[in-house]
Amino acid sequence: MTDFPLRTSRRGLLVGAAALATAPAAALASTEAEPLHAADAPIEDAARLSDRISPFGPHQAGVTTPRPANGMIASFHVLADSPADLERLFQRLTDRIVVLTKGGPVPEVDPKLPPTDSGILGPVLTPDALTVTVGLGASLFEDRPWLQPAKPRALVRMTQFRNDALIADLSHGDLVIQFCANTQDTVIHALRDIVKSIPDQLVLKWAQAGSVPVIAPPPGAPPESARNFLGFRDGSANPNSADPSLMDQVVWVGPENDESGWATGGSYMAVRIIRNNVERWDRTPLLEQERIFGRTKVTGAPLDQPHGTEAMVPDFKADPHGKITPLDSHIRMANPRTPESRANLILRRPFNYVNGVLKNGQLDQGLLFICWQADLEKGFITVQRRLDGEPLEEYVKPVGGGYFFALPGFADGQQDYLGRTLIASLSPTSQDSSQSGPSTHQVQD
Amino acid sequence: MRTVTLAAVAGLLATTGAHAAEPLDLVGPVSDYKLFVSEQTDLLVDETEAFVAAVKAGEVEKAKALFAPTRQHYEMIEPIAELFSDLDVAIDSRADDYEKAEADPAFPGFHRIEYGLWEHNSTEGLDPVADQLLTNVKDLQGRIESLPFPPEVVVGGAAVLMEEVAATKISGEEDRYSHTDLWDFKGNFDGSQKIVELVKPLIADQDPAFIKQIDANFEVIDVTLAKYEEGDGYVTYDKLTDQDRIKLAAAVNALAEDLSTLRGKLGLD
Ligand code: HEM
Ligand SMILES: [Cu+2]
Repeated sequence: MTDFPLRTSRRGLLVGAAALATAPAAALASTEAEPLHAADAPIEDAARLSDRISPFGPHQAGVTTPRPANGMIASFHVLADSPADLERLFQRLTDRIVVLTKGGPVPEVDPKLPPTDSGILGPVLTPDALTVTVGLGASLFEDRPWLQPAKPRALVRMTQFRNDALIADLSHGDLVIQFCANTQDTVIHALRDIVKSIPDQLVLKWAQAGSVPVIAPPPGAPPESARNFLGFRDGSANPNSADPSLMDQVVWVGPENDESGWATGGSYMAVRIIRNNVERWDRTPLLEQERIFGRTKVTGAPLDQPHGTEAMVPDFKADPHGKITPLDSHIRMANPRTPESRANLILRRPFNYVNGVLKNGQLDQGLLFICWQADLEKGFITVQRRLDGEPLEEYVKPVGGGYFFALPGFADGQQDYLGRTLIASLSPTSQDSSQSGPSTHQVQD
Repeated sequence: MRTVTLAAVAGLLATTGAHAAEPLDLVGPVSDYKLFVSEQTDLLVDETEAFVAAVKAGEVEKAKALFAPTRQHYEMIEPIAELFSDLDVAIDSRADDYEKAEADPAFPGFHRIEYGLWEHNSTEGLDPVADQLLTNVKDLQGRIESLPFPPEVVVGGAAVLMEEVAATKISGEEDRYSHTDLWDFKGNFDGSQKIVELVKPLIADQDPAFIKQIDANFEVIDVTLAKYEEGDGYVTYDKLTDQDRIKLAAAVNALAEDLSTLRGKLGLD
C-alpha cells in the first residue's frame, strides 16, 4: 500500500467542519458515517428539492462539494471594456447566484409584461443543491490590455493534444459557468436565468449538459463511484475532497502557488468534451476493456486485487513489468503513483453526456470531463501528456472544452462579490486589498 | 409567423394597465407607422419590378446588385409582412424550410433566386420564380393597404425584429449564398428603431432609464454596422469580425429583452 492521500485512504478520516457546512443536509443524513465526496455517485432517493448548498465561503461551491446528478458547462463571450464593466458583470452574476441557490418565490409582475422568470420550476424556486461556479478563460485577459497583467500564471488557451479533434464551436470561451443540481430542470432554469438576466454582457458560445447515474448504496457500505458511459466506475482514486488540507494542496490556489494575491482561493479548471465510441467499446472483450483501464469493470477493484473493492490501492511496485496492470493502462499512465507523480494529483468531477446521433449513425455520447487543480501545468496538462498515446485513445475523441480559472469564493453580504479581489487588483490605489487575498477567509456562513 | 385578430384595435380601447399610456395616445404613432410601412411597401414593389426584370433579362450582375437593397424594404416591414404567413413563406422562406433544401421544387422567393444567382451564377430556370415573386409582392401591397394596424402588433414589432435578427440573421444564415446579411440587419434594425421612435414620447417621462438603455444599444449597433458600410450598402457578412458579431449579438439580445416589455409598458396585451 502507498501512503498517497487519495480518496481511497479517506476511510476513518475526520471530516472538516467546512466540508460538512457545504454538503447538502439530506445527502449527509443518508450517509451519516461517510460523507459524500466530489465524485461519489449521488444516492438513490436521498436528493431533495430543498437541498441547499451555500454559495458563500473562501472557495466557490461546485468543486469539492458532492456532485449531484446533473451538471452543465456553459461558455460565454464577455462584453466588458473596462474594469468597471467587469465589476458590473461580476456583481450581476453574484446577485443571480445568490437568488438561484437560495430559492424562494419568483417576483410577480404585471401580466402584460413578460414574466421575469422562465417559470420552469414553478412560482417558487427550489434550491435543489444548485451550485453555480464561474471560471475565466485566457481570452478574457489576453483580449483586454487592462486585464492582461492580472492573468493567472498558468492560464493558457487549451492546446491540441495528440488525440484531439477540437471543434471550434465547442471550445474555449471568455467565461464559463458550471451549473450542478439534483435535477436537470434546475440546471436548465439557472442557465436560462443567467442568459435572460445579463444579455448585454454575456453571449452564449457553447454549452454541454451531462448527468451522473444515481445509485443505491450497498447497505452499511461506503458510497461507490458512479459509472461512466464505458461502464466503469469513475472517481475511485480521486483525492479525498472531504479533507480540506489535502484540497488546499491539490485544488485551491494558495501562497505556495506563485500566483497574484487576488487568485488565492481559486482553482484551475480543465474541461474536456470527450466523445466515446460506445458501439466499438461494447464490441471489445471484457478482459481487454479491463486492461485498458487497469481496473475490473464490475467493482472497479484494481487488477492486482481483482476480488477487492474500488477503494483498494494498486501496488505498481510489485508489478514493474505491467504483467497484471499493463504499463499503458489508463490508471497507470494517469497516475504512476511514484513520489514525483504526487505533484500531479487532480480532482476529477465529470458528468456523462448524451447528444443524440452522429452523422455516421453512431451514438454521440461521452464524458464531460471536468478536473480541478491548483496548478494547471502540473495537474491536467502533465497528466494528459502522460496519457497521450494510451490504448484508450482508440475509443475516445476529445472534441471540445477549455481551460479556465475559477474565481475565489465570496462572502455573504453587500461588500463582497465574486471576483472582487481581481477587480481590486486592477486599481492601483487598492493594492492592499489585492495583496491580502479574499476577505472571505474569515467568513463562514 | 403569428396570427392576430384584426379586431384587436377595438379590444385595445378597453384595456388600461397600471402604468398604461392612454390608449388613444397610440393613434398618432400607429398611423405614422402605417405611412412608413406603405412607403416601404411601395419601394419594395418598385424595386422588385426592376430586380425581376433583370433576372428575366438574364442580367446576372445587375440582378445581384439589386438583390440586397430590394430585400431591405421587406426586412424593414417584417412585423407587418409576417402577418400574411402564406406570402411570407412565398417571398422570404429559406432552403432549410424545405425537406430537400435547395433541390426542393417548392423552394420559392428571394432566396431561391439568390441561390441561382450566386451558386450557379445564372438566371436559368428563374423566370417563373421571379414572376411569382413580383405577383406576391404586389399582393402583399394590396393586403397591407386594407389592413387595420393592430397597435399591439405595431408596438410588438420592435421586439419581433430583434428576435428575427437574434434567431436567424446574426449567424449569417439568412443570405447564405450572397452574404448580404448586413443589409438585412440594417433593414431589421431601422424597422425596429422606427417603431421605438414613434412611441418614445409616450414613455420617455415615466421611464427615462429604459429609453436611455435602448438608445445606447441602438447606438452600439449603428456604430458597429457603420464600420462595414461600402457604397450604398455593406460589405459581405464574412468580413464581420468575431468581435463585432459578438458586440452586435449582445446589443440585439439586450434590445430583444428590453423591447419585449414595450407592449406591456404601453398597456397593451
Ligand atoms: C473519456 C475519457 C475518460 C474515461 C472514460 C476515463 C475513465 C477513468 C476510469 C474508469 C478510471 C478509474 C477509476 C478512477 O480512479 O476514477 C480513471 C482514472 C483516472 N483518470 Fe480517467 N478517464 C477519462 C479521461 C481522463 C482524462 C482526460 C484524464 C486527465 C488528463 C484522466 C485522468 C485520470 C486519473 C488521474 C485517474 C486516476 C488514476 C489513479 O490515481 O489511479 N482521465 N479514468
Ligand atoms: Cu427575413
